[in-house]
Amino acid sequence: MTAFGLAVAVGAMFALGTFLLLQRDLIRVVWGLAIVSQAANVYLLAMGGITSGTADSVPVLAGHADHVPETADPVVQALVLTAIVIGFGMTAFALVLSYRVYEEHDTLDVTELGDRE
Amino acid sequence: MAATVPSDAAIAAQPAGPATESLVIAPMLIVLVVAVGTLLVGDRPRARAIVSLAGGVGYALAVAAIDWYVVLAPNAPGVATYQVGDLPAPFGITLVVDGLSAFMLTMVAVIGIASLVFSVRVLPELDRRSYYFPLFHFLALGVTGAFLTGDLFNLFVWFEVMLMASYIFVAYYGGPQHTRAAFWYVALNLLASAIFLLGVGGIYATTGTLNMADLARRLAAPAAYGIDPTPVVGLLALLLSVFAIKAGLVPFQFWIPTAYRAAPPQITALLAGATKKVGIYAIIRLSFTVFAGAQIGVDLTVPGTELGVAGDSPLVLVGAALFVMAAASILVGGIGAVGRSSLEGVFAYSSIGQVGFIALPVAIAATTTSSELRQAAILAALVYALNHSLAKGLLFLSVGTVRSATGTSRFDDLGGLAGRSPPLAIAVFVGSLALVGIPPLSGFFGKFLVFDAAVEAEASSALVLLLVGSLLTIAYATRTWNRSFWGARTEAVEEAAVDPVQVAVLVALAAAIVAVGVGFEPVYEFADAAAEAALDSDGYVEAVDPCEPGEMTEDCALEGATGNGGEHA
Repeated sequence: MTAFGLAVAVGAMFALGTFLLLQRDLIRVVWGLAIVSQAANVYLLAMGGITSGTADSVPVLAGHADHVPETADPVVQALVLTAIVIGFGMTAFALVLSYRVYEEHDTLDVTELGDRE
Repeated sequence: MAATVPSDAAIAAQPAGPATESLVIAPMLIVLVVAVGTLLVGDRPRARAIVSLAGGVGYALAVAAIDWYVVLAPNAPGVATYQVGDLPAPFGITLVVDGLSAFMLTMVAVIGIASLVFSVRVLPELDRRSYYFPLFHFLALGVTGAFLTGDLFNLFVWFEVMLMASYIFVAYYGGPQHTRAAFWYVALNLLASAIFLLGVGGIYATTGTLNMADLARRLAAPAAYGIDPTPVVGLLALLLSVFAIKAGLVPFQFWIPTAYRAAPPQITALLAGATKKVGIYAIIRLSFTVFAGAQIGVDLTVPGTELGVAGDSPLVLVGAALFVMAAASILVGGIGAVGRSSLEGVFAYSSIGQVGFIALPVAIAATTTSSELRQAAILAALVYALNHSLAKGLLFLSVGTVRSATGTSRFDDLGGLAGRSPPLAIAVFVGSLALVGIPPLSGFFGKFLVFDAAVEAEASSALVLLLVGSLLTIAYATRTWNRSFWGARTEAVEEAAVDPVQVAVLVALAAAIVAVGVGFEPVYEFADAAAEAALDSDGYVEAVDPCEPGEMTEDCALEGATGNGGEHA
């Protein structure tokens, strides 16, 4: 069920991101990029899966109780953390850049940008 | 020192002492320290220039040391690894240098120093307060990291480091066309990064590892690790498209002309000479070192027709895709270059075409079954890549010289440059001839080896393409020369003040092109070692020596972790 939910979420985010990417307004394009990269993050997170933990795989939890809870793969969590940081920085940069484009061109409409050489 | 001897196998094979291991990380450390150093000296142009140049020389020395001690010395180990933080592979981050990485690093070092000297000369006039030099070194850091990393996710991270610096350089001048070019460049690469993540995530889910050596080992024996590698073919296609964007292969070439026009010329030299090669390197490394051992039935024929490819290795897909992209690149780049109206326009399109010349032998290598031809084809691609770096680096830098001397690079405003500055003209002439492939320049051997690989593979379509591409190269090289260096002097050229240091850099690069051509023997041996390293999957795995899942030897002991640490998914 979780897998199904995640698949729907990833699919919906990719669809929304792609839709926004194809818009004429630059800010929407940036939104689209942000959503697509978040979709990739969710996908990456889903790839790790959730497994039933054992005292061997999670030694920290072994001493707390007789029951070891389900655990997620820590490697993908670390990867996603890195990807989120990079994505955050790049989204901020893309926003700054679109403001700069607005300053230079007086417009955020993609179709009008090409006219000035 | 954190570095220790990695494993019994590595000791038995070759003496890879701690000194060699530290060498692996040396170029990255140097360039990182220099990047931070240039930030720290602040708003003092002279200090920044000195730190930068010293760093560039240090980087080149470190790369030369790697070349000698790891690859070229009589009893060199061929591969050296560094486990960051002394965590064993595949848990820790692995840095690997072998012939292929060393060859690429050498190329970056040469073109990087030329570009750096040029930058120091050009920059004070432009802007004293900018973060140009720190960014320059971060760009070099990203490129170096991408060549050295032995881990798929780290490859993604180094790509991002490299790209972030290049985004700012594309937007550097801040005019309308620069911001527009930068925006599309950023947008395209962000999308590519998301696709890269999809590929990386999929490969992790399929195989349970991201370490390239571990990946190669698991793909070669999927049954032993209980994995089904079939999805890897599709994921490899995703990754290929990402690397093709970096390399600027058609149909992912559209960002190149605008971005190359917008960035400062000395950075464009680096973009064409170094970051493009990262894409090529990633294609070669992943296809041949990592995925070549996988035996996966691939059948991509269109149902009901003969169209498509089929085989028992993911390389079939790489070969077919690269061949189509290379063919289109040669044609689009060549035809596009003939009609441009400015120097950098011609060279940017030419860059697209030349990358096709590099990708075509790689496609042949992926398609063929003969291991000799495969090595010869990769060797051809590497020699051609070296020639492209030198020649295109020279030509883009010459755009900078012409621009700072005359204030323009449009053919309409240029003419008679040859009489105005003979050394500049000779250097550009040598660069153009190297692109065309006249002996005894480096370009001749590049072209010769590529043609030779095509003949050996009996690929007549490839031969026709190469011929057409070469003719187009002659056409645009002659046209560029005639329009800007021959003819009557224009007003801009008459008043031009050509900078002697800039010309000296160009002449040095031209001399390097001649030297590579005349003394081709050692270059050939180096490239041969690089091609051999690219194909030597077993040697790569053995050098990195990732721990088996469940294996608990002393080398593989991880504090707090237990045997199943390697088993994810």
